[in-house]
Amino acid sequence: MVEISSDIIRGYNDTIILYLLSEAPSYGYEISKKIRALSEDKYMIKETTLYSAFNRMEKNGYIESYSEIAENGKKRTYYRITGAGTQYYREKCEEWTLTKDVIERFIKR
Amino acid sequence: MEALRSYLENMFANLPNTPEVQRAKSELFQMMEDKYTSLIEEGKKENEAVGIVISEFGNLSEIADTLGIQNFVGQSFNVNRRRVSHEEAHQYVLDRSRHSFMIGLGVLLCILSPITAMISDVIAPGNLGDVIGISTFFGLIAAAIAIFIYSGSKMKMWDFLKKVPCSIDYQTADELYKEQKLNQSTKTAHLIIGILLCMLWLIPMAILDVLPAGSFITEALAPSIMFIMVGIGVMLIIFSSGKDSAYTTLLSLNDKNTVSGNYESTGSGSVTYSNETVATIMSVYWPTVRCIYLIWSFLTFDWYKTWIIWPLAIIIHKVIKANYSMEAKKI
Repeated sequence: MVEISSDIIRGYNDTIILYLLSEAPSYGYEISKKIRALSEDKYMIKETTLYSAFNRMEKNGYIESYSEIAENGKKRTYYRITGAGTQYYREKCEEWTLTKDVIERFIKR
Repeated sequence: MEALRSYLENMFANLPNTPEVQRAKSELFQMMEDKYTSLIEEGKKENEAVGIVISEFGNLSEIADTLGIQNFVGQSFNVNRRRVSHEEAHQYVLDRSRHSFMIGLGVLLCILSPITAMISDVIAPGNLGDVIGISTFFGLIAAAIAIFIYSGSKMKMWDFLKKVPCSIDYQTADELYKEQKLNQSTKTAHLIIGILLCMLWLIPMAILDVLPAGSFITEALAPSIMFIMVGIGVMLIIFSSGKDSAYTTLLSLNDKNTVSGNYESTGSGSVTYSNETVATIMSVYWPTVRCIYLIWSFLTFDWYKTWIIWPLAIIIHKVIKANYSMEAKKI
């Protein structure tokens, strides 16, 4: 079975997460669940990957974290996208369109 | 859920104990917890759910890159530390509480040693009484010394805890911490009874004083009762702290600079005060109280009154703590 290329996907974890956050603020597990559902089980993000993406993007100012009491009564960290994050997301989308366009030209069908 | 908690704690055990690392740990745990809960809701068995969560967890080195702690991952910080096993830890607690019992017993024997001398002096005055009195006196002291030496030598095998850097794992630490909490009330009960016995010997003395006194009562029985009560009291006071300090010793074994050094404070956490003035006052609170107590007591010699300082001091301390202390931040 063909597996997803981890090298390529690594560069786009941020894009995936920012897309989901641009819809609504969210938290770790919900995001990983949505990624899995939207990719129809083709991509499962690991917890450590997800957290490092959060951490890196928060440092870059693309997302903000805040904590809220979750429905189970425990404190949970939520993330929301910032202006800079939206800007960065658009750039990444353009980058992908270009990348995809170039690579597509070399793919035999 | 406990399995996940210890998996994570063991992964993080050797990482530096910084707010960033603690935050990463706590957030990863949130994610694992959420995933686990939803797997259980889907009808998965507990061990199945734990298996899935752990297999999909990922690799810590990924986090290390973003946190800037690459150097710590893989390289074991506690590598030179002697690992204290679960069994050893419990053996130590047992030995230490036995040791404090033995020391208490020895002290009790020392305190009781003059009793036979006083009684025999009254019952059989003269040479015979003296011989019995003095020989039991030295006999008891000798027994006490034997107990001290024997018990001390038994504890020798645990000297390494203080000399060699050691470590314990999360499960053991967690268990010890819970046991320590459970032991708290026993400890307090022993301490209170001990202190009461040391204070209340006056009562039987006073009662005996009122009774039509024979020389046996005033010269032998009354002082004996005092020695016995004080002796048992002191023994209980010594015994009360043994087990507790064993737990404290074990829980403070891990390197304070790593996450594992934080096991102890995951539950306890030292009290910090929100107000700086209050914090300064509190740091000298107990020494000041002690000074006031001693000065007042020695100036007036009203020992029967001055003890009131202690309960008052405790109440004031509690009030200040309740109003100004900040809950140590639990991450």
